[in-house]
Amino acid sequence: MIFQCNDLERALEFPELMPDARAHAERCESCRRQLYLWSEISRVAPQLHEDWESPGLWPRIELALVDAAPRPKHVPAWRWTIAVAAVALVAVMLSQPWRGKTPAPNGELLTDRALAEVQQAEQAYARSINRLSAVAQKDLEKSAAPVAAAYREKLLVLDSAIADVKANLESNRYNTYLQTELASLYKDKQNTLKEWLDYAKRN
Amino acid sequence: MVGAALALIEPIAARTEFVSEGELLAACRRRDLRAFEHLYQVHGARLKSVAYRLTGNRQDAEDVVQKTFLKLYRAIEGFEAQSSIGTWLCRIAINACYDLGRHRKREAELPVEQERGAKNQLPLKAALDDALGRIHPRYRMVFLLFEVEGFRHMEIASILQIPEGTSKAWLFEAKKELKRLLTETGR
Repeated sequence: MIFQCNDLERALEFPELMPDARAHAERCESCRRQLYLWSEISRVAPQLHEDWESPGLWPRIELALVDAAPRPKHVPAWRWTIAVAAVALVAVMLSQPWRGKTPAPNGELLTDRALAEVQQAEQAYARSINRLSAVAQKDLEKSAAPVAAAYREKLLVLDSAIADVKANLESNRYNTYLQTELASLYKDKQNTLKEWLDYAKRN
Repeated sequence: MVGAALALIEPIAARTEFVSEGELLAACRRRDLRAFEHLYQVHGARLKSVAYRLTGNRQDAEDVVQKTFLKLYRAIEGFEAQSSIGTWLCRIAINACYDLGRHRKREAELPVEQERGAKNQLPLKAALDDALGRIHPRYRMVFLLFEVEGFRHMEIASILQIPEGTSKAWLFEAKKELKRLLTETGR
């Protein structure tokens, strides 16, 4: 192929034509400059990467992420009312004399036993979380970091929600929904304490 | 001395904490902050640079990076892993820059003046920087991602949601335009 100046653009697009372009450029000053500029653009381009120190950026992002963490949902009063009404309805239906079913002599005993098991498990779980909390609280209260403040606030919200659910459970011992809600709040508290301990260990 | 050595070791330690992208993704889905910190250490600098090129100042670029991580945190459940997390992050960052641009337009602010220290740049670098601002935005974007930030065409295709061939063609057009502009200015 006889390479001419107007073939240069095609050569830049199709690398297989490049050897011919280079051979031509040895004799042609204008094409030599064009080829040089083409390669210089790619050589200089990485220098346009902008880099600067931003020591405060990650802590800022971390704080925003902690803040965005899903919080335990606030259960509105009307949902509590519906739950209590549903439990009451089930209790009434079970005790209907016209259904002709006589309750098993030990039915109540079984229910009480199952409930006692749940409560024992819950108490053991709560005790272990309290122990974890005692370990974590020392560092958490001492720390002045903004992240620590966010964790403290989250734990306060969780403790308050736990207290609410517990108070409701005292007047409604058989409510499985409330038991599940309480277990979920304890789990949330456990994860939060664990996250804080991990964070404290790393910093 | 020891501090400097530690500063070198720490990012490497963080990088080796998650051995695979799958493990990292699983940790992100558990909302494990260490996973997000790892992503920041690996991709933060590149995201800042891309955001800086699109917004024109460092403060906005840092805000965009923060928004990017927040969006990732909130939307991680919806990530289908068809591309890498790095390219997904870059896509989120670019969209966040466009959102910021639209917001600025609505507020009818004056265009942000670039903080670039053109006077301190080498002649060709300064000329290239200037010429880059004068080419078509889509060509500029592919040039930035490929030549400046080192993404591959496959990744650019995923970030900009264009075919890989289009990415290659736009890069060629970008370089052709830049060569023309630099030739005109006598470089």
